[in-house]
Amino acid sequence: MSLTLAELHQKKEETIEQVRLRGNGKDLMVCCGTGCVAGGAFKLKDALDKEVAEKGLGDQVRVVATGCNGFCGQGPLAVVMPDETFYGWLKPENASTLIEEHIVKGTPVRKFMFVSPETKEPIPLLSDIPFFHKQMPVVLRNKGLIDPEKIDDYIARDGYQGLGLALTSMTPEQVIDQITRSGLRGRGGAGFPTGIKWKVCRGEKKTPKYLIGNCDEGDPGAYMDRSLLESDPHSLVEGMTIAAYAIGVAQGFVYVRTEYPLARQRLQKAIDSARALGLLGQNILSTGFAFDLEIREGSGAFVCGEETSLIHSIEGESPEPTQRPPFPAQVGLWGCPTIINNVETLANVPQIINRGAEWYAGIGTASSKGTKIFSLVGKINNTGLIEVPMGITLRDVIYEIGGGIPDKKEFKAVQTGGPSGGCIPKAFIDLPIDYESLKEVGSMMGSGGMIVMDEDTCMVDVSKFFIQFTNDESCGKCSACREGSEALLEVLTRISEGEGREGDVEFLEELGLAIKDASMCGLGQTLPNPVLSTLKYFKDEYVAHITDKNCPAKVCKPLIKYYIDPDKCPGCTLCLKACPGGAVKGSNKHVHVIDQDVCTKCGECLEVCPPKVGAIVKLSGKEARELQSLAAPVAVKEWKARRAEEKRAGVQKQ
Amino acid sequence: MSSNLIQPHPVGAALVVGGGIGGMQAALDLTGAGIKVYLTDRGPAIGGVMSQLDKTFPTNDCAMCTMAPRLVEVGRHRDIEVLTLSEVQSVRGTPGNFTVTLGRQPRYVDETKCTGCGTCVSNCPTRNHVQPLPSAAFELEPEVRETVAAIIARHKSRQGPLMPILQEVNATLNYFPENVLRYIAQETGHPVADIYRIATFYSAFSVVPRGKYVINVCMGTTCYVRGSQRLMDKVSETLGIKEDETTPDMKFTLKSVRCIGCCGLAPALTVGNETYGKLTRQDIPDIVHKCQEAA
Repeated sequence: MSLTLAELHQKKEETIEQVRLRGNGKDLMVCCGTGCVAGGAFKLKDALDKEVAEKGLGDQVRVVATGCNGFCGQGPLAVVMPDETFYGWLKPENASTLIEEHIVKGTPVRKFMFVSPETKEPIPLLSDIPFFHKQMPVVLRNKGLIDPEKIDDYIARDGYQGLGLALTSMTPEQVIDQITRSGLRGRGGAGFPTGIKWKVCRGEKKTPKYLIGNCDEGDPGAYMDRSLLESDPHSLVEGMTIAAYAIGVAQGFVYVRTEYPLARQRLQKAIDSARALGLLGQNILSTGFAFDLEIREGSGAFVCGEETSLIHSIEGESPEPTQRPPFPAQVGLWGCPTIINNVETLANVPQIINRGAEWYAGIGTASSKGTKIFSLVGKINNTGLIEVPMGITLRDVIYEIGGGIPDKKEFKAVQTGGPSGGCIPKAFIDLPIDYESLKEVGSMMGSGGMIVMDEDTCMVDVSKFFIQFTNDESCGKCSACREGSEALLEVLTRISEGEGREGDVEFLEELGLAIKDASMCGLGQTLPNPVLSTLKYFKDEYVAHITDKNCPAKVCKPLIKYYIDPDKCPGCTLCLKACPGGAVKGSNKHVHVIDQDVCTKCGECLEVCPPKVGAIVKLSGKEARELQSLAAPVAVKEWKARRAEEKRAGVQKQ
Repeated sequence: MSSNLIQPHPVGAALVVGGGIGGMQAALDLTGAGIKVYLTDRGPAIGGVMSQLDKTFPTNDCAMCTMAPRLVEVGRHRDIEVLTLSEVQSVRGTPGNFTVTLGRQPRYVDETKCTGCGTCVSNCPTRNHVQPLPSAAFELEPEVRETVAAIIARHKSRQGPLMPILQEVNATLNYFPENVLRYIAQETGHPVADIYRIATFYSAFSVVPRGKYVINVCMGTTCYVRGSQRLMDKVSETLGIKEDETTPDMKFTLKSVRCIGCCGLAPALTVGNETYGKLTRQDIPDIVHKCQEAA
């Protein structure tokens, strides 16, 4: 059966009606994104379901499993609608309190609310929480508000209206024109204008053509595509169908990473239910337009996010990139013209068609339009997924939305763009975020990972980490990338182990630029970015590693030593018990000593030492070299007496 | 071999079977001793495996530099007759006087006229289709063969069937036994080398047996800055194996993975499809213990 547009409108009215009928009731939106699921969200939902059933509230309360809410740092979490009350850090055993107090008695439960770090007061309303306050949900407008496995929920919130509009009242050229005027650019990283790409492909004579949604989200620290598929998979299905109509495609693929089982499962369900309603398949919305979608699974190769590589992977060839041009829009999958768009780009499309290019172009900066989803992670208080308008400053993101750095540590840098991006130092905190400005400071938009680093992060170590990653993931086809990353890694490893030499910094710079010039695909062309940007802004750290053999952040193991301050050690034996290698010597009520020859620098002792004692410290550089610790454990009493003696002697001398 | 068996009038010719680097050198040495040589090879050209190598152990010498002069010499030598696409079918006679029957496959090219210009190759409509030699015989347990055959049958009609086939086989058998790869190659018409290349390219695939539980410690950036290396060390210490190793009882395999997209839960790890987040080193023994009990 295929719906007509009129029937779709009718269906929307009906489903809205159903939502309204629940007017007096409540919806408990339990976040069931991967993050919360790992924290026990399904157990929480079961407990709530059971509680509702036991209290016989089935006709008043609906417990809904939604996709990712975004505030992952608070998970498992739930939002009570329509009151908009946000509850975080929930456990299954909290279910009865929540239902009893909020649903039955109607008093929101303060102890489960988000507590403002400034005022220490609970914040009842979701929209009042700073994390949500500055956000602007466009692509993620349905996050946490619908059941991603129910197509009716999506339709009730204007779902498939954009598709209806495009198919019944616009020509494919008009759709492309609309997208071009909206200023939408690729969200995968490079930022190529989407409308222009589609136009090229539409102009190709060869058929069939293919459309691929790229959800091979390989950048470490980025998970917006996964969340999108988990919370609102229909927006991708609708976006791809509109794109297919505009370009003239009958078969589409969505390439999803193997690491995202839940996203694949929800997308498959969305495809099936759209097909059942005639929103995919032979006769879409009874207009005669035909398009179908198939999911293809990745198998864990970062390079497959590169478009030519992705094509080879679907074809079943060895997934190595090939030289462009010809671009996939001309010669792509099985030699046919193919459009590959990022999942987030495609999910923007229904909104643009539905609300118009002018509305979309009104958001953002001169060259970058619309909103962008970022995953705000790392050393930050409010970890999670955020959608903000282009042009917002880093300060707003980190301090307003992110709530600053935990443990009152100092903000040092933010890393954007994954392994292809760079580190942006504190000096650029007021930088408005868009494609161009990020490029100017030596980073890039990438797919939207934003990893915040504090003073405890060593920049040499971070570059080493990224080069290790790209070195591992380099497919090995072109030597600049294969051998270049190897050489970079070798030098960085040497520096982090305290074996750095004069001239290493210059060598890294020269080699980095050469790799950029000589590599074939995006992976190689951008892999030196983490090194080059940290060299640009944190050269002193490299120099400290090389000349002083000092790791200022005290991360690089060969350059640090753990030391127990005898004046502070109460001889509690906690560190002695924790040390896996037997490097801590001591006994009850004796000042403990670390045997540096045995210590593997695992840091276990530092972790167990109570913060109010704080006897264990890390030392690096000169401090570490000139460290003179006790030869053997001494009784605390005796040590105190000795210190008092010394002090007295010192006073007498004066 | 007693000397009276040797023919009184030995024939001054030798047959060298196999035209690899060893065969070529043997042929050249024999001609140096004044003996006419027939050099046969099963493949369409001499050169053997070494022609596929970049460098050779232990000196890391460039393989082509070693073999190219020999190739040229063998090709030009008047006393060496190269018989390619030929296989020995029978050997009769006694030392000093053998009769060897060779079976030759057709080449469809007149070797006496061919200059090796390569124009026919670039004009061949199926030029990029490798024409594999009949692969070596292999044995496959009937159940395994049945399982794999069913998987192949399920996907064969799809466009680009290879990846779905490999993914399902990998998921079902937990790794690719060599003969399974050969079987897939035979059934799908891809050369074994290509299949092997793909099977070793992706991190989700394995060509060695893996444990029942694969523990993937996330080494994404967020987990890394939040200390996942130390989690890895702890898991490694608890299981007594290093990264990419499997415990002797085949229960656990330890691997690192590049970001599982659970950055809000950093540091995290997965065991099969279960995700564990916000971990500290102290949580590790419990997780391992839980799996041990389940297993």
